[in-house]
Amino acid sequence: MTTLRLDRINKFYGTLHILKDIDLDIAQGEFISLLGPSGCGKTTTLRCIAGFEAVSGGSIAFGGRDMTRAMPEQRDLGMVFQSYALFPHMTVAENLSFGLEVRKIAPADRERRIAQTLEMVRLTGYEKRFPRELSGGQQQRVALARALVIEPAVLLLDEPLANLDASLRDDMRFFIRDLQQRVGITTIYVTHDQGEALVMSDRIVVMNRGVVEQCGSPREIYERPQSLMVADFIGQSNTLTGRVTGREGELYVIATEDGPLRTHGAPGLAGEVRVMVRPENIGTAPGDNTLRGRVVKTTYLGASCLLNIETAAGSRFTTHAPADSPLAPGSEVTMGFAAHKAWAFAA
Amino acid sequence: MTEAVPLAPPRRLPVWWMILPAVVLLGGFLILPYASIVVMSFREASTSAVYGDGFTIGHYTEVITDPFVWGIVWRTVRTAAIVTLVTLLLGYPVAYHLARTRSRWASLLYICVISPLLVGLVVRTFAWLIILSNSGMANSALKAAGLIDRPILFLNTPLGVTIALIHVFLPFVILPLLGNLQAINPEVAMAGRSLGASRMRTFFKVTLPLSMPGIQAGAILVFVLSMSAYVTPAMLGGTKGRTMAVLVVQYLVDNFRWPAGAALAIFMAVLTVSIIVLYLRLTARAMRRLP
Repeated sequence: MTTLRLDRINKFYGTLHILKDIDLDIAQGEFISLLGPSGCGKTTTLRCIAGFEAVSGGSIAFGGRDMTRAMPEQRDLGMVFQSYALFPHMTVAENLSFGLEVRKIAPADRERRIAQTLEMVRLTGYEKRFPRELSGGQQQRVALARALVIEPAVLLLDEPLANLDASLRDDMRFFIRDLQQRVGITTIYVTHDQGEALVMSDRIVVMNRGVVEQCGSPREIYERPQSLMVADFIGQSNTLTGRVTGREGELYVIATEDGPLRTHGAPGLAGEVRVMVRPENIGTAPGDNTLRGRVVKTTYLGASCLLNIETAAGSRFTTHAPADSPLAPGSEVTMGFAAHKAWAFAA
Repeated sequence: MTEAVPLAPPRRLPVWWMILPAVVLLGGFLILPYASIVVMSFREASTSAVYGDGFTIGHYTEVITDPFVWGIVWRTVRTAAIVTLVTLLLGYPVAYHLARTRSRWASLLYICVISPLLVGLVVRTFAWLIILSNSGMANSALKAAGLIDRPILFLNTPLGVTIALIHVFLPFVILPLLGNLQAINPEVAMAGRSLGASRMRTFFKVTLPLSMPGIQAGAILVFVLSMSAYVTPAMLGGTKGRTMAVLVVQYLVDNFRWPAGAALAIFMAVLTVSIIVLYLRLTARAMRRLP
């Protein structure tokens, strides 16, 4: 069942076209990430959903009801802000109580729900603290609890982990995802961190310059990008330009400067295409596709070694080698990768 | 091998040097004269000099028991309270708008806010004299609109003084509030809305409590300035709009009663401080929870 539907959302700031025909259907209980570089329109999209920005065109429906012109307070959603935006003059319990009081929940019920929610975010015992007396991670969990305690239809998260340090951020990813699945709440998560989006989401919406570049599961986005922007933005990738010259079963044969390659790819490709191979899928033994090159640079990463390789035709590749690899700059290498590990998309 | 030479500890500039000029200025030109006024208020009156030789508390008892003085005290406090309240009500929306707007006209509005400070007080008060006179712009506009038959007496009444003081002191409430409101994270108000609270509720439960420090600063500033304002009530107030500051000057200059005038001035200062302390006590609850 669809919880939230965005239908051809457009947004202008003066003459600047910020959002262009954003379409999105979000199912009950889904965790959706809006992912993209800064200025891509992801936060604006979230604010349009929340009602803090009026859309210039298109419609927004919650559970089948049109809410395009509704005030934020009428939309039944919980929101976690990048700055947490806790009420600094209220205790943790009062912060949580705010939304319940607005909803005229009876005091006894209020207390029970506050206690339950605080337990859920592991902050039992912090009821009487003020936000300034809590660490960043604790404030973050209070913000999460405050948004969840009202049991909204949709939870909106605006880069909630951006202000935390790296190790805490990793913990919080799993914490939020786990919490979301236990509560079963429909969630929209804005981030510019592809790692976060990959591990947390059911579906990722990759945005760039106000348009949706691609929408799909983390696996689809990572393994089958539909554009160079998606291939480059999510993970590391090697891309080659080429031209489709034929089919071999379900594979494409693509002519490149480095010779013909066999890949799978988006259906119906013809003419100019790009071929993408992830560094971890390139081996140093011949495979379905074999290329020869010379090591330009090696970088020790601890668990492995990063190789920069240049082919005779001048294409540059990065790939991983074991940390104890004897390859040094200048050595000749053979690179091989399987046809089903390479992916072609329209150039 | 070279021998390790112990490094000289870095020389620190003594910090008190930096506050010395301000201390000299305040001590020499505020505290000393103030002390001499306190002393003067206890001296006996004299007809041939500023004050006589002996000491007395008679000026205080005279000032405090004089119903005429209390009439003016009441009028001064009332005028200052009304001016404070009205400037807060008028200034808050302006400060809020200035703090939140992203318009390119914002700096123009900001200049408008501080522009009254760029024109001399006497000049502005003369302008009010013209506007508020019986045949002035205010009365002719009201008459043209059919709201009044006979002109409202603005001049030589507390009303005219109040109107002019509100105009003079509006920037003093807007500026501290502006700084305070700009420091409040706009996402906090958005959080209130997202939790289901209307604009109004969010304002009264979130924004207003958080802006209490700005309200405090602006209110105290305007109240103190209104209590001690001289030029405006002297020029617009006549006898019916006379305030404490005007009365003090009359004691000193017109009646040449320096010790009694000094006692009146000290009495007024003590009264002002007492009212502010009382005000702070009453609002302490609202301030306690703020960071």
